[in-house]
Amino acid sequence: MEDLIALTGTQIAEQINNGKLDEGEVFSFFRGRAKKLNASLNSFVEIYEEPVGAADTRGVPIAIKDNICIKGKRITCASKILNSHRAVYDATVINRLKQAGFKIIGTANMDEFAFGSSTENSCYGVVKNPWDNSRVSGGSSGGSAAAVAARLVPFALGSDTGGSIRQPAALCGVVGFKPTYGRISRYGLIAFASSLDQIGPVTTNMVDCAWLLNVLCGFDQYDSTSSQAAVPDFNNSLVDDVRGLNIGLPAEYYGQGLNPEVKSRLDETRAVFEKKGAKFVEINLPHTEYAVAVYYIVASSEASSNLQRFDGIRYGLREKASGLKDVYFRSRAAGFGAEAKRRILLGTYSLSSGYYDAYYVRALKVRRLIKEDFDQAFKNVDIILTPTSPTPAFKIGEKTLDPLSMYLSDIYTISANLAGLPAVSIPCGFTKENLPVGMQLIGKEFDEATLIRAGYSYQCATEWHKYLPPMIAD
Amino acid sequence: MNYQTVIGLEVHVQLKTKSKIFCSCPADFDAPANTNICPVCCGYPGVLPVFNKQALKLGIRVALALSCKINDSIYFERKNYFYPDLPKNYQISQYKMPLGEKGYLELPGGKKIGITRVHLEEDAGKLIHKDNYSLVDLNRTGTPLLEIVSEPDIADTQEAYDYLTYLKLTLQYIEASDCDMEKGSLRCDANISLKLKEAAELGTKVELKNMNSFKGVRDGLEFEEKRQANCLETGEKIFQETRLWDAEKSKTYVMRSKEEAHDYRYFPEPDLPDFKVARELIEEEKKHLGEQPLDKYRRFTAGYKLSGKDADVFVQDSWLGKFFEEACGHFNRPDKIAGWLLGPFLEHVNERGRESIKITPQNFAKIIQLFCEDKLNNLAAKKVIALCINTNDSIEGIINKEGLAQVSDSGGLRGFVDAALAENPKVVEEYLAGKEQAMMFLVGQVMKKSKGKANPKVTREMLEGKIKNLKSDK
Amino acid sequence: MKDNSPIENVAKLARIEITEQEKDFLGGQLAKIIDYVDKLKAVNVDGVLPLRGLHSDAPVLRDDQAHVSGLSRDILENAPAAEGNYFKVPPVIE
Repeated sequence: MEDLIALTGTQIAEQINNGKLDEGEVFSFFRGRAKKLNASLNSFVEIYEEPVGAADTRGVPIAIKDNICIKGKRITCASKILNSHRAVYDATVINRLKQAGFKIIGTANMDEFAFGSSTENSCYGVVKNPWDNSRVSGGSSGGSAAAVAARLVPFALGSDTGGSIRQPAALCGVVGFKPTYGRISRYGLIAFASSLDQIGPVTTNMVDCAWLLNVLCGFDQYDSTSSQAAVPDFNNSLVDDVRGLNIGLPAEYYGQGLNPEVKSRLDETRAVFEKKGAKFVEINLPHTEYAVAVYYIVASSEASSNLQRFDGIRYGLREKASGLKDVYFRSRAAGFGAEAKRRILLGTYSLSSGYYDAYYVRALKVRRLIKEDFDQAFKNVDIILTPTSPTPAFKIGEKTLDPLSMYLSDIYTISANLAGLPAVSIPCGFTKENLPVGMQLIGKEFDEATLIRAGYSYQCATEWHKYLPPMIAD
Repeated sequence: MNYQTVIGLEVHVQLKTKSKIFCSCPADFDAPANTNICPVCCGYPGVLPVFNKQALKLGIRVALALSCKINDSIYFERKNYFYPDLPKNYQISQYKMPLGEKGYLELPGGKKIGITRVHLEEDAGKLIHKDNYSLVDLNRTGTPLLEIVSEPDIADTQEAYDYLTYLKLTLQYIEASDCDMEKGSLRCDANISLKLKEAAELGTKVELKNMNSFKGVRDGLEFEEKRQANCLETGEKIFQETRLWDAEKSKTYVMRSKEEAHDYRYFPEPDLPDFKVARELIEEEKKHLGEQPLDKYRRFTAGYKLSGKDADVFVQDSWLGKFFEEACGHFNRPDKIAGWLLGPFLEHVNERGRESIKITPQNFAKIIQLFCEDKLNNLAAKKVIALCINTNDSIEGIINKEGLAQVSDSGGLRGFVDAALAENPKVVEEYLAGKEQAMMFLVGQVMKKSKGKANPKVTREMLEGKIKNLKSDK
Repeated sequence: MKDNSPIENVAKLARIEITEQEKDFLGGQLAKIIDYVDKLKAVNVDGVLPLRGLHSDAPVLRDDQAHVSGLSRDILENAPAAEGNYFKVPPVIE
């Protein structure tokens, strides 16, 4: 069974379907790995005894970020405030996965409420990077990325508000895809920032990614922000051909702050694409330097309101108090971690009387300028190539005392959320210290297909996605 | 004194939809506590609102009936505040872009009260306060509400009462709301200030809450009018504050001051996109408007020549008004029909309940016609009404069976008249001596002998003739 | 956010009890973040409309059909305190 690790998720599924592999044995295999290796990685919040899925289907195991509701299961957003909260309904994506035969193996660790870029803000403790246990896995979907990277599970779902799928994917050396805003229903995803959140797949390769996107994408009547745009069959985009593809290189993403090794890997990536016949175009996204500021205002404002429901009245943690007001104050003080408090306070501040126009409204205006930068750029290019993260995985604890430096690690991923664009992080090499580096491809609205074609073509020419972390290569 | 009262009213009405505004739970909060609830209206983690089309339609209908300008594109905003009857701790409401603006409601006297805005929002749940705890029922949470804000155009407390009456009638006519203040489907807060008649500037505004009936609104405002006038007289300061009306003690008192001023941190609801208000939808709703109460009032006073008071009854009671109009269609004496409807008929209705009324307007008209044609006397007509109001049996049948046809021919009455005179010589003497009531007694005697069938007018004429003859005989 | 009073007010609005220590610690961090986001003041936003939503799709409205979720019991079971069919909370009026 050890060779299961060498197979892609799609291959495992095929072999289950044609009877070469037994679904139960596959599940037991991954469950056993997860149980064993989770002790050192901490990528799972809970590993189920029995698979969760539709009884009349067969399929592959998948891990679900702990902020997506699975009926009857504990869903906590890695927060004390949700305590032992049990979801009473399935998220739309969970329904879709069940129908497609996926078997849920457990819930993946994350930054509390997806607030973070290192999964150090989890009430269950930090998720360690499978390539180097002294380093972070990235975040907030660190558990999903680390679990897939360590082959504890072939597939995982993450959520991405400002890079929370792509950045940990880059830091762990896997594929992480954030689709166009509205492509995948958010119903059942515990909201961080409603206008930015998207669910997306974490996989080891583009073929698996395309398959999962086929399962997840599409209009949902329970999410008014989900798009009615037709969804193409992404399997048709698994074509090794980038000839004539115009790829934009935004100057703003290659400047100060970019780790030289990461820059070198991106240069090499460019060479791979050029060799395959893609053309590169220098472009400008002039408002990029404001993206982090816009993001922290918009995302925190929405979060401050979204998280008001965690009050100790209908579910979750309730601290003892003699009066109602103290239930609120104490439960929220005890239940939220430091980063959650920072974001709630920042968001409350941005929306409060006297600051609303100066912060929130102004941020929305600059958000439009950022989107217009992309609209302009996409007149000349088909996709945009950037690094996913300015640095490879950093040391655990390195940035925890300086929130701002942590925020800046999302500097390349945030804009795609602000503009609602699809973007994917794909492994593109390693540093001297054997840490994975990821490239980011950003596409036009609803043009996931081109990203899949470009990513697939790249993986046809490279082997980076096949490398295994030392902990399992041993 | 020389003060001018300035009143503005803020009315909330529940719209008559089958389901809640943002989820499919039945909008029926009479059900046992917390049975019509779901993850959405309980503010569960991960849920999203989906806007009920009927709520929009009814909102448009009301906006049209109040001659509002309807905005082409509307959006919702979040009003943030913590309260246990508000599960998300924000209310989805409208703020900057309401459904309708700048309308008016015309009162019977011809005065137009300006409508500032009409906007959609969700209702909160209910709290039950016990000795040392409170209970929360969320059945009502998410019921669609329409907030209707008037301009400060209302000049006295009676006008406030009339405004409420006509607003309620308007909404009932177009079947947008039950407007039952006792059941809470209509709620009203008021703003009231006083200024010197010649002053241009408005005085300090006091917000008045906790009125549970139209009368309560009028009484509360009257108290507040006097209190403020007294303050102005004595030079006492009027504070801008919220006061509660205590109907039992007939006074207003200051609501416990909030620890901090409200800062609702309104911002656009990111879970709901903008909604275009389609022309077709507006045209469709125009068809539901029908005759407005004021038009009906004018038609009843000018067309049927009813008194304002009678017309008002028919305007306020559509069922009765319809009955009246149909009856008039069968016998064109609106004065008589109205008199009998508002008199004996209404008495039965109130006694026996509306549901038990079986008589058709046509049969009712026939009774009144028989009365007017002297074929039934007053007593007999009342008796026929009493007998067939719950059966709608044939009028002729009842008259024949009960022998109620009025006896108007002198042949039929002669025997009774002679007997009455013969049995009461003393009374005849009294009459001759000039005592008018004596005649009434004699008519009564004939009535009794004829079992109520005698035509009182003919009876009297015969009695008078006979007595005259007696006198001349002497 | 430069001094302590705004953070107190904001924490009150957000219904989060904060200790004196947190007031300094969080207050200081927030001040830094706010200094950073203040860079937006340099952007010329004249005539720019706020970007509220990302899609121009005509949204789908829900038909007015009611059905009982049947989740009432599950929902009440998640409550930290309940009495009969009700959620139970400490006195609202103190």
